[in-house]
Amino acid sequence: MTIVCPTPVAAIDRVQLGHGSGGKMSAALLRERFLPAFRNDILAQLGDAAIIDVAGQSLAISTDTFVVQPLEFPGGNIGSLAVHGTVNDLGMMGADPRWLSAGFVLEEGLPLEVLDRVVHAMAAAAQEAGVLLVTGDTKVVERGKADGIFINTTGVGVRYADFAPAPPRAQPGDAVIVSGLIGQHGIAIMSAREGLTFESEVMSDSAALTPLVRALRQRVGDGVHTLRDPTRGGLASALNEIAVAAGVGIMLEETMVPVPAPVSAACEMLGFDPLYVANEGVLVAFIAESCADDAVKALRAHPLGRAATQIGRCVREHPGLVALHTGVGGTRVVDMLPGDQLPRIC
Amino acid sequence: MKYLSEYRDPAVARALVTEIKRSATRRWVLMEVCGGQTHTIVKQGLDELLNEAVEMVHGPGCPVCVTPLEQIDKALALASRPDVIFTSFGDMLRVPGSECDLLAVRARGGAVKIVYSPLDALELARKHPDKQVVFFAVGFETTAPANAMAVWRAKQLGVKNFSVLVSHVTVPPAMMALLESPDNRVQGFLAAGHVCTIMGWTEYEPIAAKYKVPIVVTGFEPLDILEGMLLAVRQLEEGRHEVENQYVRSVRRDGNQPAQDLVSQVFELVDRSWRGIGPIPRSGLGVRAEFAEFDAERKFAVDGIRTAEPTICRAGDVLRGVLKPFDCPAFGTLCTPEHPLGAPMVSSEGACAAYYNYGRFRNGAPV
Amino acid sequence: MCLGIPGRIVEIHDTQGLPMGVVDFGGVRREVCLAYVKDEIQPGDYAIVHVGFAISKVDEAEAKRTFEVLREMSQLDELKWMEGLAT
Repeated sequence: MTIVCPTPVAAIDRVQLGHGSGGKMSAALLRERFLPAFRNDILAQLGDAAIIDVAGQSLAISTDTFVVQPLEFPGGNIGSLAVHGTVNDLGMMGADPRWLSAGFVLEEGLPLEVLDRVVHAMAAAAQEAGVLLVTGDTKVVERGKADGIFINTTGVGVRYADFAPAPPRAQPGDAVIVSGLIGQHGIAIMSAREGLTFESEVMSDSAALTPLVRALRQRVGDGVHTLRDPTRGGLASALNEIAVAAGVGIMLEETMVPVPAPVSAACEMLGFDPLYVANEGVLVAFIAESCADDAVKALRAHPLGRAATQIGRCVREHPGLVALHTGVGGTRVVDMLPGDQLPRIC
Repeated sequence: MKYLSEYRDPAVARALVTEIKRSATRRWVLMEVCGGQTHTIVKQGLDELLNEAVEMVHGPGCPVCVTPLEQIDKALALASRPDVIFTSFGDMLRVPGSECDLLAVRARGGAVKIVYSPLDALELARKHPDKQVVFFAVGFETTAPANAMAVWRAKQLGVKNFSVLVSHVTVPPAMMALLESPDNRVQGFLAAGHVCTIMGWTEYEPIAAKYKVPIVVTGFEPLDILEGMLLAVRQLEEGRHEVENQYVRSVRRDGNQPAQDLVSQVFELVDRSWRGIGPIPRSGLGVRAEFAEFDAERKFAVDGIRTAEPTICRAGDVLRGVLKPFDCPAFGTLCTPEHPLGAPMVSSEGACAAYYNYGRFRNGAPV
Repeated sequence: MCLGIPGRIVEIHDTQGLPMGVVDFGGVRREVCLAYVKDEIQPGDYAIVHVGFAISKVDEAEAKRTFEVLREMSQLDELKWMEGLAT
């Protein structure tokens, strides 16, 4: 039978915003356009950071570019985000972050006092995270070409011999544990966007997760199989990536996922699913079953991890797929979104 | 959240599921009209829980899915104009037209903005007097009062650079078209609770009587849907075919009169083509002559755009409830949310997308 | 097709002749047009809000009554459900 349809498949010949949202389009862009050009074993790992060996010392390198709008939002600004993001990518590979570089693209016309606030926030975040900003670069582009400020940070961290969490290491039986309340960063950003503005007390959770990583390393050690910070695309996207990388299934319990009431309320209003909303101060950990309780205790001992809780487990069934037991007793698949989550009226 | 969370109580849900299963002496075929209801059913796995007692068939209750190709093409033409800021609800942005979608137009430099409310679009027009702001007025009867108010207010305030591209549809004609269809299997309906909040339920009484189908006006939370299904099943078991109201906290028999009044002032009933179904007479709303200056079709002369729908398209069968998404040969293979062939796969409310995203877990194993 | 959620009217005002209000949705607040419910509501009442417009006042008495009926049913059924689990 031939399917004839009023809608031919739209040929995408240009970059779209969805390519940057951390969902399926982003993954496709990476797979189809970037990876074929830069083939090597280190890149092929596709972890949050690359692991390299320099004279017997294992190091992690990670890079991230920050283009957030608005530049300043409840709970932070693009500067603090730029430090936390890269510091956390290093942490997710088990490394202690030590040094950062920062590249700035500034838009002509940006008020210098905004730049000052961004730079001061970066400095404060770096100091708190125990990292040194050791080199940088600045460029200025014409008005209209850079949305205020774009920042790229690249970080280097030092790894420990016996601590090597990585996405492919997740295995059936592992506890899936989240370190805190989810959905805060994405909603804080949304509340300040033109056309959607609403008042809420939600602040971005942007923070360096280094102390939590350290706590897990010291308490659980090699029982920590995988760590990931669920940023763009939210918890759902991060879990999908790990399920595919490790070839495991994941089963979540809806009632265990900790969503704070204001995030829940904002999501109801916009028609968003909190599982897909970005976080900048939360990690998800895949921990060997026998160490799960210790892991939760270790996280809860730190202010950033007070709300840590197990939300599910890895299973042998449906490898590569994330599923959820719903509050009312049904089951559903938690898929990766194609692109950005769109506010809906339906 | 008050008046929301209580309607997700798992204990009550289990009780309702048990009661529905106990009441049904045979498997009944029910249709929920509204995309928001489809979303809850599939997201919560309700149809899977009740599979033995009820077959849920998903109706054309997604204005995004049923917006005719022609209107999308007009939207794309308007959004591509350099003097236009095209505003829309978020869910319309990925619906494909003949060549591309609004997101692609934005990628090519068109000014396309998501707004939460039509009044936000009007506000944008006031802030940017040098641009033409067009708002994509899509929706069922629920959204018509909001869109009507934006137009009425624009006239009242003398805003000259605001207009609406209308693609409104109304539910009762579509229900009747479905019931008239020779391959109709639906025995009872869950009517859309927010459509009825505006319109009341008087229009459904003659439908229930003529076609002898129970129609239960139902809300959107899991307990609402389950209670609505229970009431429908009970009617079917008892051989009754009445209009009943489950969504008592929001719906009254006569609906919202001020809202209906403003809608009749600004809009009039017109013939409308439903994507995948075809033309249904007097099933849509168009802008009245008195407000012609706010009708984007007349203002920008895009009413000449004609797009032919091919006669064969499975999307129509899905929208009419004749075909289940996963029975379609293209489902999940040729047609996925990233490369949708038809509207029900694009819209997050569409039956196909709902099934792809949520419902691939049948009988405990993913499809 | 109609994402409408309940919110509590916090404050009512008039914007150039249009009745508007601030509505609280479980901690999130937004400006909402109250033109379609203006004769029925006052601060403290709940309304269903769709795309920035209040479309109905939540009938709290009806809501309470229905919910009590449902709860009662669930308590009777809870026993049966637990029995079912035990087998």
